[in-house]
Amino acid sequence: MTKRMFLVCVIMGLTAGWISAQAQPAKVIAIRGAKIIPVVGDDIEGGTIIIKDGKIEAVGKDVAIPSGAEIVEAKGLCAYPGMIDGYSFLGLQEISGVSATVDNRETGRINPQVRAIEALRYDSMHIPIARSNGITAALVAPTGGLISGQSTLIKLDGWTNREMVIKSQAAMQIEFPGIRGGRGGFGGMGRGGAVTADATRLIAELKELFKNARYYQKRKEFAAKNPAAAQPEFQETLEFILPVVRGELTVMISVHSDKDIKAAIQFVKDENLKAVFFGVEQGWKVADDLKKSNIPVIISSLYDMPPVWDDGYDSLFRNPGVLNKAGVKIAFSSVSASVAKDLPYHAAKAAAFGLDKKEALKAVTIYPAEIFGVDKIMGSLEKGKAANIVLSDGDILETRTNIKKVYIDGQETDMSNRYLELLEKFKKRG
Amino acid sequence: MNAIIKNLLISAFVLALIAPPAFSAEGSILIKNGTILTVTKGVMVKGDILVINGVIKQIGENIPAPEGIKVIDASGKYVIPGLIDSHTHIALAGTNEGSEAITPEADVGEVVNADDVSILTALSGGVTMVHTMHGSANPIGGPNVVLKMKWGKPSEELIVHEALRTLKFALGENVKQSSRTITVGGPPPRYPQTRMGTNAIIRREMLKARVYMEEWGRYNKLKASKTPPKNLLPPRKDLRMEVLSDLLRGKIVARCHDYQATEALEFMGLAKEFGFKVQALEHAWEAYKIADELAAAKVGISVFADSWAYKMEAAEGIAYDAGYCAKKGVLVSINSDSGERIRRLFNEAGKSMKYGGLTENEALSLITINPAIQLGVEKIVGSLEVGKQGDIAIFNEHPMSAYTRCEMTIIEGDIYFDRAEYLKDREEAYKKAQAPKKGGRP
Amino acid sequence: MSISKRSCLFGLVFLILAVSGPASADVGPTYAIKNAKIVPVTGPAIDKGVLIIRNGLIEAIGPVDKVTIPEDAEVIEAEGLIAYPGLISAHTNLLLEAPRAETSQGSPEFIAPAAAPQDRPSETPELCAFKLLKPTKAAIDSFLKIGVTTVLVAPNRGIIQGQSVLLNLNGEKAEPMVLKNPVALHINFTTARGTYPSSLMGTIAFLRQSFLDADYYATRQAQYNKVLKGMKRPEYDPFLEALVPYVKEKKPVIFQCNNLEDIKRALKIIDEFKLNALISHANEAWRDVAILKKRPIPLLVTLDFRPPSSSRYVNQGEDLRKKAEAEIYPANAANLTKEGIKFALTTFGLNDGSAVLKNIQAAIKAGLSKEDALKALTVQPAQFLGLVQQLGSLEPGKIANIILTKGELFDEKTQVDKVFVDGILWKF
Repeated sequence: MTKRMFLVCVIMGLTAGWISAQAQPAKVIAIRGAKIIPVVGDDIEGGTIIIKDGKIEAVGKDVAIPSGAEIVEAKGLCAYPGMIDGYSFLGLQEISGVSATVDNRETGRINPQVRAIEALRYDSMHIPIARSNGITAALVAPTGGLISGQSTLIKLDGWTNREMVIKSQAAMQIEFPGIRGGRGGFGGMGRGGAVTADATRLIAELKELFKNARYYQKRKEFAAKNPAAAQPEFQETLEFILPVVRGELTVMISVHSDKDIKAAIQFVKDENLKAVFFGVEQGWKVADDLKKSNIPVIISSLYDMPPVWDDGYDSLFRNPGVLNKAGVKIAFSSVSASVAKDLPYHAAKAAAFGLDKKEALKAVTIYPAEIFGVDKIMGSLEKGKAANIVLSDGDILETRTNIKKVYIDGQETDMSNRYLELLEKFKKRG
Repeated sequence: MNAIIKNLLISAFVLALIAPPAFSAEGSILIKNGTILTVTKGVMVKGDILVINGVIKQIGENIPAPEGIKVIDASGKYVIPGLIDSHTHIALAGTNEGSEAITPEADVGEVVNADDVSILTALSGGVTMVHTMHGSANPIGGPNVVLKMKWGKPSEELIVHEALRTLKFALGENVKQSSRTITVGGPPPRYPQTRMGTNAIIRREMLKARVYMEEWGRYNKLKASKTPPKNLLPPRKDLRMEVLSDLLRGKIVARCHDYQATEALEFMGLAKEFGFKVQALEHAWEAYKIADELAAAKVGISVFADSWAYKMEAAEGIAYDAGYCAKKGVLVSINSDSGERIRRLFNEAGKSMKYGGLTENEALSLITINPAIQLGVEKIVGSLEVGKQGDIAIFNEHPMSAYTRCEMTIIEGDIYFDRAEYLKDREEAYKKAQAPKKGGRP
Repeated sequence: MSISKRSCLFGLVFLILAVSGPASADVGPTYAIKNAKIVPVTGPAIDKGVLIIRNGLIEAIGPVDKVTIPEDAEVIEAEGLIAYPGLISAHTNLLLEAPRAETSQGSPEFIAPAAAPQDRPSETPELCAFKLLKPTKAAIDSFLKIGVTTVLVAPNRGIIQGQSVLLNLNGEKAEPMVLKNPVALHINFTTARGTYPSSLMGTIAFLRQSFLDADYYATRQAQYNKVLKGMKRPEYDPFLEALVPYVKEKKPVIFQCNNLEDIKRALKIIDEFKLNALISHANEAWRDVAILKKRPIPLLVTLDFRPPSSSRYVNQGEDLRKKAEAEIYPANAANLTKEGIKFALTTFGLNDGSAVLKNIQAAIKAGLSKEDALKALTVQPAQFLGLVQQLGSLEPGKIANIILTKGELFDEKTQVDKVFVDGILWKF
């Protein structure tokens, strides 16, 4: 072997080690002595979690720790599954008032072709802040218009946006207008009565669009079988709405008033769609209809006023509890980038107004995992799932709780973030 | 016989002394068996508070109930001082005189709107008092006003006259109208459009006020002299200059909307140059960068917990701002600046325990005694002490817990928000809506 | 008597005769309204009476057997009809010419921002409604049809809006209509467009500063006029010049108060500057009768009951809002009567006669008696506007504004049969 080749081998050997260390956590980690809240199943006092190859190898009270494992003493701490944000703008917004830093809203009404993952700024300053509060995954959604685009489900760790992908195209986002009643009730300035939004026209428009998409598909198929036949002209909108129409891509419908929710339920049924609802502020009024439809609900931020006075000052707070008791599957969301870290506090507030505390925790862990179809790999501390684990000094839904460690795919993540950077810098003043 | 009568008289006298105090129905209430967080005098695990005619008369265990008084059972609940939001814009018919840069003659106290349902929103979150203010459209906006959330009372009864008179200043992006696009042929931009222009315009107005005060001083001296000149007329009374004169005389304190560290320091410099008091900086997202300067100058801050990154000047706001500054000796209050967030003031304050390491009581202080001191009303509100006004909120869990909610809000002994009543009304309204309509076929 | 003296005497007599001689052709016919029920308002009703109109004035009123019908009178048979005084609306914006197209925001004609409250580009205290009148028969008919014969017309733009004129609706020419000009200065609690003051608190400061400045201006003017030598003349200011009569001579000012708080704001300013003031609109006067009892002030209460958008009755759910519009606000007048607070009713905000009638009926349904409604549209506005000698009731010597109705006034089915304005029978 020549000297040069030897050097190359050495360099390769070194870098290989570095790369593999980044790509595959080969070591075994044992988190010992924590109070484990697996979310699925009973809590385990003084339990142990074994992490191997990025997955949970074992969870239990008396679990044998393999030799060579890195032991993390967690006595006095709680171990939770990482939380999942049902709807956020993480990575699409830096400074919300500075449009140059905002990428979550495309111009125009109908944009099924745009994909949030393709704009996701993985090194957004908001992601580490959310992550260091125990959030390990999030739906990142485009917004605006009638069809906003395709949302993406990401884990909050990775050196590139693509590394963060759990589901590249998670759902097609469709939005029905909200109830413009805020001004006339709680808005503060007070202006007349509420204007209840009416989605009937929009549903008709979508039905027409879906119908056209189906025919477009048929013409494409015909042309494929008959080379002599003319191909249909390429139509971007129809092309990108097809997966929804075919039932392959979930559609997330942003819907708000009771009337519109019922209309949307019927629409989903008529078109045979795989659907999730988002928002659903008046869902409590039609809880039984929602239960029967089996459509799960992502609750919008609780940091909002009730849409109309008559709903009551606490309607947004009570809503999740009412839906949950009626048997509707719910999950919480931050609807934010800069305050995405508040996800657990939405859940806690709903618990303050009637939602069972255990259900509240599920609604930020296993329920969003189920809703997004990733419950086999996350959402609870169970053997075989990804080692997305949060170690805290208390209830993660509580404001005062401090998060000590956050593991994503078995990797301990960096707990530093923009807040801490600036704090540390100015602490140096003395 | 005389001895018997004498004894009777003595007994009557003694009985009168130990009998429970008489009271009128209004403004009197007895809250029993709650965990009392006084804020300034510790925690009473199980205690009672007696309010008579709007004033806290007694805090202790097993207080006997005066006859006929309204009794609230707070067993298992937390009894805290009514919360004080030191920066809002509710209950006003208008918040900005944006047509010009300098408008201290525009006084929000003249446009109180007691019909604003945001008052009810505030009450539902345990807030009993707010400092409602000008917006941030002007370098010098105008006087603000402190209100009690007495829903249903006439507007003049909401005003808290004991509070310090405050004058709203603003610096930075809003004043510079940074978010406005200049259109060709459209209205020209309003001076100032830079932070240096903002400081310059404030300095200009202070200098003008000095001249105004001098004019009046000279006139008064001449008038009082032995031989006043023949055609002596007073100078023109200028409402704008009157307010600024009062600021320079120390009768009004400045509350300044600021984000950046530099503009804060420079504003404090202006205050020193002209001898006026900066009571607090509003929002102050970079206060942690100059905590020492703020503490030394006794300038307080009134901030958010973590609503940041919506403007460039808010891009370096950190959730540790409140807690860190508090630990450095700055008087910190947390505000809502929002008709929505005003219901969650206690949640926001709670965040300072995690981001900043404040204790429960320190966090609670951020929305009780601290804003009271900033507003100059700490003698009458801000903590649960005998002699203070009966402004009380009752929560079902510790107010710093994310699981808490406000059950009742009391101002000067009168109940202004009662969740139990609200739930009952909802129940009845629901039943009425479900009932079959009259006149139709069964 | 010498020739010169005699000629002087003749000349004098001739002069007097020429001046006071037989009236010109605009005197109009003499009428005798016969057999009507007469409701004078300031006296008991006469079941079967006679009303004599001559020279635009009421000459005589009395029971049929007590009043002689003059030879030159045209007899109007009014059996089955009721005669009332013509109604007075003490605040309207009727008959004003349509405003020029507004300069919208962003259009090239931009009003430069004022540098100080002293710059007042858009306020027009000197503006006379009289100069803006553009009477149309349709508008006049609409009001005469419901029995309104006298209206106060005020300008309707800006904060300090200008001066009103009082008109008898007797034709399409402005001059003969005028009863009094100007009547009062009108001020509205609103904001300026595109300039200072753009907020209500700015408006209040602006009003106070304006009155302070007018007072100061008058003082300096007076001082200057006294000395003339040795003092620099004060700069002429048409705006302040126009305000001085209201601040110094206490000419009447009418504040338009669109909600309860405006009433309080107005009272504060009125008391600070000791203005001679009335309050108009006042549809929330019922909400704080204590203030109005403690400090009485003439109220011109509008029949336009729409609650202000800021009202708590409008912002706490649909049910309450509907109740506010249908029951609570229409009871304003009834509530004031109950509390013994004097007020006149106006048609302010309603430009259509039938809407006015509907609202009067709603006010009556809400508890206002027909008698009190009539008083509030006749003697009370006459009193507030200083017209007691001329209008407000059917009395000899007063102006012959008379309406004859088929049915009792304000009843659903009642129609106005005939209207006399300034003694002339109106042709619809």
